[in-house]
Amino acid sequence: MSMAEERAGKVLEIIKEFANIGAGSAATALSSLLDLELMNDTTTCTILPMARVADWLGGAEKIVAGSYTYLCGDLKSGILVVLPEESAVSLLKHLTKDRVTISALTPIQKSALKEVGNICLCWYLIAVSKMIDIDMIPAPPDATVDILGAVLDVPLASLAQKVDTVIAVHTCFKGIEKDFEGYFLMLPEESALKLILERMGA
Amino acid sequence: MAEPRNVGIAQLVLCKAPEQLTCLGLGSCVAVIIYDPIKKIGGIVHILLPKAPPNCQNEEKYADTGIRKLYVKALEKGVIREALVAKLVGGAQMFTSLNIAIANIGRDNIRESRDTLRALGVRIVAEELEGNRGRSALFDASTGKITVRTAFGVTRTM
Repeated sequence: MSMAEERAGKVLEIIKEFANIGAGSAATALSSLLDLELMNDTTTCTILPMARVADWLGGAEKIVAGSYTYLCGDLKSGILVVLPEESAVSLLKHLTKDRVTISALTPIQKSALKEVGNICLCWYLIAVSKMIDIDMIPAPPDATVDILGAVLDVPLASLAQKVDTVIAVHTCFKGIEKDFEGYFLMLPEESALKLILERMGA
Repeated sequence: MAEPRNVGIAQLVLCKAPEQLTCLGLGSCVAVIIYDPIKKIGGIVHILLPKAPPNCQNEEKYADTGIRKLYVKALEKGVIREALVAKLVGGAQMFTSLNIAIANIGRDNIRESRDTLRALGVRIVAEELEGNRGRSALFDASTGKITVRTAFGVTRTM
């Protein structure tokens, strides 16, 4: 293995560790909110051209519930929590004790979806900001239910001013006993990535 | 017939009848389709941002440079300049209560696309824009028709 490869491998390990801790914290919060046990899969991290991100995540036309926010401050990064259609329905049923039609959510259900996104993303950020001792300033997240490609447009557009490829850090979570799944996606800017590596002693 | 080829973000593809192209999952992005109904040649550019910075590397990513490139490539492929028409799909605002400048990039994409097409003298004959729903478009070079579908089954052909 060459020096460069070894270095790249180490960088990847650090980013994975970083995302695992964030996702772990968010999954714990989501677990207690949903009253069901969740576990995290390992984080995958990859560098992709913008055009391939949706395919990498399962296809542009898949219907998902996505919450997104963008971090300002030192650590510039987009961050999303994405639930497939079925998981979004079961989450909203659990929270609102009402019938859920994913194509026509009631105002309460929309609000619940946003709040869940807010809680997940905040717990993710609290955990990682403690670890690297940086204050993160998230805008309040917004949520929408739509096709994945469309949900990703704004997160990608916010990075696209500077780059043509994105670093995607992806952590899945799954219900242990019940069918429930989703993932966190972090899309850091290069400066944010450097800062993470620096603070984590790379 | 072969599967229609998909035009991803910041990609530009030309085709002629009987080929078809798709543009899946358009949110704030805009698919700009130009078409020559006489020669039955057309193309799509899937743009993400409105204006290119100076010395930009990836022209297909921006409305202004991407549409110009599409126009030039279409001329190279033999379209008749006077016959060209354009259709626009996308430019939605996906996150309506997000408080960051980029949240309504769709509107800027639409404005820049219209301006660039006007500057090139290409007439816009159909649009399916704005709102807050994602869209997928299927372009058929045999007819020039575009079928636009949203997430929950609303379909429109234009």
